[in-house]
Amino acid sequence: MINVLPIATTVLAALLSIEPLHPDSYALLTPAFTLMATYHWTIYRPDFLPAPSLFLIGTLQDLLSGGLPGETAVTLLLARAIVLPRRNYLVAQPFPFIWAGFTLLTGGAMLFSWALHSLLAEELLDLRGPVLRTVLTISAFPIASFLLGRSQRALIGAD
Amino acid sequence: MRISPARRAAIERMSVTLLVVVSAAMIIAGKADQVAFQYLRNSVMDTAAPALDMLSRPAAAFDAAADRLRGFITVYRDNVRLAEENERLLGWQQVAMRLSAENAELRDLAKLVPDPAISFVTARAIGDSGGAYARNVIVNAGRDNGVARGQAAMTGVGLVGRVAEVGSRAARILLITDLNSRVPVVVDGTRQRAILAGDNSARPSLRYVDSGGTIRIGDRIATSGQGGVFPPGLPVGVVASVDSEGARVEPYAALSRVDYLRLVDYGLAESLPNPLAISARAGKRAESAVGGPPTLRR
Repeated sequence: MINVLPIATTVLAALLSIEPLHPDSYALLTPAFTLMATYHWTIYRPDFLPAPSLFLIGTLQDLLSGGLPGETAVTLLLARAIVLPRRNYLVAQPFPFIWAGFTLLTGGAMLFSWALHSLLAEELLDLRGPVLRTVLTISAFPIASFLLGRSQRALIGAD
Repeated sequence: MRISPARRAAIERMSVTLLVVVSAAMIIAGKADQVAFQYLRNSVMDTAAPALDMLSRPAAAFDAAADRLRGFITVYRDNVRLAEENERLLGWQQVAMRLSAENAELRDLAKLVPDPAISFVTARAIGDSGGAYARNVIVNAGRDNGVARGQAAMTGVGLVGRVAEVGSRAARILLITDLNSRVPVVVDGTRQRAILAGDNSARPSLRYVDSGGTIRIGDRIATSGQGGVFPPGLPVGVVASVDSEGARVEPYAALSRVDYLRLVDYGLAESLPNPLAISARAGKRAESAVGGPPTLRR
């Protein structure tokens, strides 16, 4: 039986990212929860979070957030394409290495979406918001990774 | 059947490539013609509304608990302040009643056609665009509750945005800070008109200001009613900064913390183009066409 935990947690991450939680100007600063879940599961259980599910979840998030349809899907799929060939290496590494990998990935994702939006708006958009969001995403990753790892051990078992 | 690792890798590569191409096509299609996605967006919004509503409850409860705790601590000071304020407002109430009576009399004298009656729906924010490139809010009221496109979204203190998309039980509000938002405004007390343009920052900017006047920090900004989306005179914000690039407006409503919204039907709009359907490029074209009465593209 295919375990649904990775898909369920990633869908939850997509819903959480559009929740109006209210530390001031939260919307601007919502961490990229979906990217965290994608990175985690692509390293530890990529078989339970296949590419089509990433496409659907990314599209769901874009349609709900009123953003560009397809943007999150592209980001998540590219993240998978980048991480998957390196997972055999990453899976054996201690957490700081995993975190460093996530930092690189998130930085890349931020530049990608900033370039995309700047291109479509035909002007260079302000980078402060995206940078702040990226920093928040990177700082929040250990918590997300801990929670996902716990649920994984409880429900699936290591690969 | 076992699939060999090489075969599996090939399938993986092909499916990821295919899906990336499909997503890229969606981005382009979505930019060129957003109406195509509107139906999809509305149905996803409607379907997810109960889940979003449920998820937003713990957060709302937490907020309420924090507010309550703060309330306990400041209750004495608040009481003194409110008593003073009440005293002052009672004075204003007298003034308002007198003015209202006088106004009615003058309208009667002038045989003025009365404004159409307004009605409103109060809704709770259950979703919020999470990204850095859009500013909108999903509320838990839709067509079934009498929400319609083009209605003004207000908090008690000022304009927040307008209803951009309506599902049967949820609606999306485009905030005045969104990149696609353009609101014709007027500087209160003068006849100086401008367009309030959002750029995803907390303070939208004033563009196409009528020449011949100056805008100062502290000037109050209200809707001008041009273009027919909003009625004239809705409070929007105050000018917070003026520099060589133009003026920026601090909205009265705390847009980073929208809980409850009033969606007000002034009997206008409904026949508007969908604001999200207007690409950034089309938006620019519309702006450059603004010369006489502004073409309202919200």
